[in-house]
Amino acid sequence: MATPLKMESRIEEDGTAVLSLIGEVDVSNVSQAREEALKLLEGGCNKMVVDIAGVTYMDSSGLGMLVGLLKRLKESDGKLAIAGAVERVRRLFEITGLQQIFALREDVAAALKEVRS
Amino acid sequence: MKVAAPAKVELRIPRRAEFVGLARMAARWRAAQLDFTYDVVKDIELAVAEACNNAVEHVKQASCEDIVLCLGVEDRRLVIDVCDHGQGFDLSRIDSPDAQEGDAGGLGIPIMRSVMDEVDFRYDPIMGTCVRMVKCR
Repeated sequence: MATPLKMESRIEEDGTAVLSLIGEVDVSNVSQAREEALKLLEGGCNKMVVDIAGVTYMDSSGLGMLVGLLKRLKESDGKLAIAGAVERVRRLFEITGLQQIFALREDVAAALKEVRS
Repeated sequence: MKVAAPAKVELRIPRRAEFVGLARMAARWRAAQLDFTYDVVKDIELAVAEACNNAVEHVKQASCEDIVLCLGVEDRRLVIDVCDHGQGFDLSRIDSPDAQEGDAGGLGIPIMRSVMDEVDFRYDPIMGTCVRMVKCR
C-alpha cells in the first residue's frame, strides 16, 4: 500500500496553478503527485506553485519529481516556485544543491509573487 | 524486566516501492533503541529509504525480487546493510549525480552520504549490490 498523500489543486484568476501536497512524499506515491502536476500542465498552466508546507517527509523521489516538473515548465517558458518547505525538507534541497535551481519561498503568497514576477 | 535487543535484525521485503515504508519503520525502531535523537532517527530512516529506493528503481534484473535489510548494533554504532541480491545499479554513477536530469538515484546518494557517518557501496556475487551505512552514537 502506498504511503498516504493528500493533494489539492486550484487555478488562480491569472491562470497560475497551486498544487498543495500534504503528508509524506516517497517512492510509493510520488507518481500520484507527478500525475496531478502534469494534469495541471496539460490544462495549459505554465506558472505553478507547489505548496509543500504540509509535507512532513520527502525523499529523493519527491525531489526528482520536482526537478522533472521544473524542467517541463522551463521548456515552455514557465515558472515554478516551491512554498513552505519545513526545515527537514528544506535541508534536502540544500544537501543536494537543489536550492540553487529552485525558488524556495516561505509561503504560497511569496511563491505566487515569485512566479508572477 | 528489560529484554536486551538482539545484536542483529534482518528483514526481507519485496523489491517494490510500497514496501520501502516498512524498511523505514524497521530502521526507525532500531535507531530508537540506540537512543539517537529524534532528528538523527529521522535521518537514519531517510538513508534507509534512499538505499531501498535505489534497489527499487535501478536494479535491472527482473529476477531480483527482494531487498534484505540488516540492522546491526556494534558497540555504539548502528550498522545497516541494504542488499538487493541482484546486479544492482550502475556503481559508476555513485559519485556523478546529475540533479538537472531529475535523477532520483543521483540525488539519493548525496543524501545518504550527508546524513550517515559512513556509506560504502560494494558488489558481492552472492549478496548482490550492498550499501553499508553506519551511524555512530
